[in-house]
Amino acid sequence: MTDRERRGAKLGVGERRAAVAGLGVLAWLVALLWIFPFAWTVFTSFKTEQDAAAQTLHQGLSFGRYSDVSHSTSGTLSLQSAFTNSLVVVVVSTLIVLALALPAAYALAIRPVHRWRDVLFFFISTKFLPIVASIFPIYVYAEKWNLIGTRTVLIILYIAINLPLAIWMTRSFFMEVPRELIEAAEIDGTSLFNQLRSVILPITAPGIAATALLCVIFAWNEYFYALQLNFANASTMPQWVTTNVSTRGNFLAKLSAASIIACLAVVLAGWAAQKRMIRGLSMGALK
Amino acid sequence: MTAAAAAATRTKGTARDPFSSAWRRRLPLLPALLYVVAITQLPFLVSIYYSFTNLKDKTQSLIPEPTRYVGFANYRQIFSDPFFRQAIWTSVKMTVLAVLLSLIIGTLFAILLDRKFLGQGVIRTLLITPFLLMPVVAALIWKQQMFSSLFGVLNKALNFLGFNSVAFISDHPLGSIVTVLVWQWTPFMMLIVLAGLQSQPAEILEAANVDGATPFGIFRQLTFPHLRRYLELGALLGSIYIVQAFDAIDVMTAGGPGSTNVPYYVYQESIGGGFRYGAASAYAIVVVVFSIIIATFALRVLSSLFREEARA
Amino acid sequence: MAPVQYDEATRLYPGTPAPAVNRLNLSVADGELLVLVGPSGSGKSTALRMLAGLEPLDNGRILIGGNDVSGVRPRDRDIAMVFQSYALYPNLDVAQNMGFALKQQGVPKEERLKRVRDVAKLLDLEPYLARKPRHLSGGQRQRVAMGRAIVRHPKVYLMDEPLSNLDAKLRVQTRAELVELQQRLAVTTVYVTHDQVEAMTMGHRVAVLRDGDLQQVDAPSTLYHAPANLFVAGFIGSPAMNMLPVSVDGSIRIAGAEIRIREAPGGERTTIGFRPETVVIGNDGPIPARIRIVEDLGSEVFVHLVVDHENEERRIVAKVDPPFAGKPDESVRLTLRGALHLFDATEVRRATVTL
Repeated sequence: MTDRERRGAKLGVGERRAAVAGLGVLAWLVALLWIFPFAWTVFTSFKTEQDAAAQTLHQGLSFGRYSDVSHSTSGTLSLQSAFTNSLVVVVVSTLIVLALALPAAYALAIRPVHRWRDVLFFFISTKFLPIVASIFPIYVYAEKWNLIGTRTVLIILYIAINLPLAIWMTRSFFMEVPRELIEAAEIDGTSLFNQLRSVILPITAPGIAATALLCVIFAWNEYFYALQLNFANASTMPQWVTTNVSTRGNFLAKLSAASIIACLAVVLAGWAAQKRMIRGLSMGALK
Repeated sequence: MTAAAAAATRTKGTARDPFSSAWRRRLPLLPALLYVVAITQLPFLVSIYYSFTNLKDKTQSLIPEPTRYVGFANYRQIFSDPFFRQAIWTSVKMTVLAVLLSLIIGTLFAILLDRKFLGQGVIRTLLITPFLLMPVVAALIWKQQMFSSLFGVLNKALNFLGFNSVAFISDHPLGSIVTVLVWQWTPFMMLIVLAGLQSQPAEILEAANVDGATPFGIFRQLTFPHLRRYLELGALLGSIYIVQAFDAIDVMTAGGPGSTNVPYYVYQESIGGGFRYGAASAYAIVVVVFSIIIATFALRVLSSLFREEARA
Repeated sequence: MAPVQYDEATRLYPGTPAPAVNRLNLSVADGELLVLVGPSGSGKSTALRMLAGLEPLDNGRILIGGNDVSGVRPRDRDIAMVFQSYALYPNLDVAQNMGFALKQQGVPKEERLKRVRDVAKLLDLEPYLARKPRHLSGGQRQRVAMGRAIVRHPKVYLMDEPLSNLDAKLRVQTRAELVELQQRLAVTTVYVTHDQVEAMTMGHRVAVLRDGDLQQVDAPSTLYHAPANLFVAGFIGSPAMNMLPVSVDGSIRIAGAEIRIREAPGGERTTIGFRPETVVIGNDGPIPARIRIVEDLGSEVFVHLVVDHENEERRIVAKVDPPFAGKPDESVRLTLRGALHLFDATEVRRATVTL
C-alpha cells in the first residue's frame, strides 16, 4: 500500500471498525451542519416569498425567483451587465496577473536575484496595508482620468491585489522543478520565454491553475473597490446582489436566488478544482 | 537537486556590466515589481501628503473651505478621538477571535477528515463551499436567513423550542460578524491543517504506536509540533485578509457601535459620509505604521519558513 | 525475550484476489534471528507488520512468548521495530528519539537518560545526542533507529529492511555489526530483507516467501544445498543456479552430451539445476560450449557461456578460480562436477545427484 493509503486506512489491530465508522458519521453530521446556511439558501431560492418569509413550504418550488431576478428594471443594475462586467474584469485581470507573476516567479525561483527574500517580503507586505488607506487618492486620480465607473480601473486594482499571492504561490511551484531540467535548457541556450513554455509550465501547470483559480475567486468576490469606484448601475456582481436587498420588505427568496446566481460559477469551479486548490494553498504557501 | 538547493549554492555575479547576469536576472521581476510599486505605494505617498492637509470634499459642505496645510493637527486629533480607539479595539477583538476560532475549528475538522471513509471527498467539497462564496453573500445569508429576528431560521428554531427570539445582530454585532468570518475562513484553515496532517509520514505515526504512545500522546508530542508551521501560516494568511474585513460590516451592521473596525471607520470618515479626507488619511497612515510594526514581527515568522525551506 | 509463532496467519486485503500472506506457519525460537526473504510482493513486510500489530489478521493467530497477541494493540505487545525509512521523530533530538518509548512507559528521567547514554555508547552515537535527525547522515540515522529499539529491552525486535538505504560499503559493515549485536543481546529478532546475500549471512534460519506462501525455512546452508523447490533454488545464491529443462530416462542429455546418473525419477520432463561452481571448463568434457564474457573479480572468475541445448541457445554461468585464460568466442568443453538437482514438473525438488 502506498504511504497515503496507509494513512487513510489506519485500521491496525485495536482500531475497531465501529469507532472509525462512528467518526465517519460524525464527519457527515459536522459537514451538513456547516453547510446548512448555504443549503437552506439554495432551498429558499426556489420558494415563493411567502414561504420564504415564514420558513414553510406550502406553495411548492419553482425557478420563478430566478427569472424575476434576471429581468432588469431600468435604472437599476441588470444581471446581464453586472455579469459581463465581472467576467471581463476577472478574466483580464487574472490573465495579466499570470503574465506578470510567471516571469517574477522565475526571477525569484529559477535564477534568483540576490535579495529574493526581501523582494518576496515586500510583495507580501503590500497586502498588510489596508486598502482603505489608499482608496481616496485612487478615487481622486481615477476621477481625474475619467476612470470612475469603468472596468479598467477595477482591472488595474485587482491586478495589484492578486499579484503578491500569485507570485508567492507560483514561486513555490517553480521551486519544485528539478534542477537538471533547467540546466539542460540553459545549456541549449533556450530563452526565458521558451524555458517557461516548454519546460517549466508543463510541470507546474496544476499549480498555476490553482493560483489562477484563487485569483479568480478573490477578484470575482471583491466588493469594496467595486462599490467605491462604480456608479450604482454599472458595477459588478457583488454590487448586483446587494441591489436585491430591498428596503420595502424582505424579499428573501429573490435575494437567495440572486445570491446563488452570483456565486454559482465560482462555487462550481472551486468544487471541480478543489484538489488542485488544496495542493496549491498548502504547497504554494509552504513548500 | 531542486532549484532551491541550487540557488543556495550560487555564486555572486558581477554588477559592473549593465547586461551582466545580475541585471538579466532582475529583468523578469521588474514588470511585476514596478506595477505593484506604482499601484500600491504611490497612492500611499499621496495619502501622506493629504494627511497633512484639511482636505474635504467641497461639494458636501455648505461653507466651502480652501484646502490648506495643517501640520500634525490631524494626527493630534487621532489620539483624542474615542471612536478611533474603539475602532482599533474592535479590530483587535474581531481579528483575534475570528482567526483563533477558525484555526481551532479548522484543525478539529482536519483531524476528523484525515482518514478514509465513505464520502470523504463529498464532505470536503461541502465544507469548502463557504470559503468560495462572496463575502457579501455570506453576510447576507447570515443576516437574512439565520440571524433575522423576523424570518431567521435560528429564531424560528428557538421559538419552536419555547425560547424567546434573540436579536442577534442588534444585540451582538461583533459576535454576528465574527460568526460570518469564522464560517467562511474555517474551511481555509482546515485545508492548510489537512495538508499538514497529510504531509506527516505514516511510518512516524506507526513507529510511535509501536513505541507505546497513545493516540493523544502521538498528537501532543509529534503531530502538533509538526503542525506548528502550518498553523502559523494559516494564522498569518488569515490575519492578512481578516484584519481588512469590510464587506460583512457594511452589509450586516453598517458600522454600528461595537462592530466598526479600523478599515470601516476610515471609510466612514472619508468616502462613507464624513468626507474628511485629510483626517481620514491621517488615520490610514497611523494604521499603516502599526501594520508595518506587526509586519516586521510577521517577517520573523516568514523568515523561519524560508530558512526551513532552504534547509530541507 | 520470547519465542514467536505464526499459526495459520493470513492477511487478505479487501478487493484483492489472493492473500498477501497465506496461512503462514512459522516458529521463531527465543533469541533466534530469523530472516524473512523474498521478492517484492512476497508478503514478507506484511508478515512482519502483522507481528507488529500494524496489520490485522484475517485468519489464524500470532503468539509472542506463548500468548495470543492477535487482538492486542501494537503498543501493548512489548516489541520494538526498526523501519526501512528509520521513521525518526523529526522534532526530537537523538536522545529524545531513543528515550521516547521509555518516556511513554513512564520511566523516570534519570534512568531514561542513563539507558539512552549506555546504548549511545554502544552505537557510537554519544557525540550526536543533541542533534536533530535532519542533521545526521544516513548511517547515523540508521544507528539511531537501532538504538531506539535496543534501549527498550523488548520481547522481540522487528526489522524491516533496515540496511536498504545505506550505500553498499556501509551496508556490509553494518551487517556484521548487527549480527554481533543481536548475538550479544540474544533477543528474538525477525528481520525482513529482499537481499538474499543479507539473508544468507545474517540469519540463524531463513524463511523464503513467494506471493504470500512460505516456500522453505531452514538454515542458510540447507537452503543453498538442498532447496525445496525451483523458486528457492533460483532465488538463493548469486549468480543464480543454472537451470535447463530435460527429459530423464536413465541419463540426461545436456547440449547433446549424455550424463549418466545413478537415480532416475522416470521419463518425465524435469528441470535440472546446477550451481556455477559445479561447472568445470576445460578442453575435454562432454558438453560443448562457447564463451560469451569473462568477469574477473580478482578472487574469483565468472564465465558466461552459451550451449546449444535441445536446439536452443542456453546461457550458463561457471565459477572458476583464477587465473582463467579463456577469451570470448572461444570454444570449450564443460564437465559437471558436484550437485545436480532434479526438479519435477511441479517445481519441487525430487532428487539430488552428485557427479
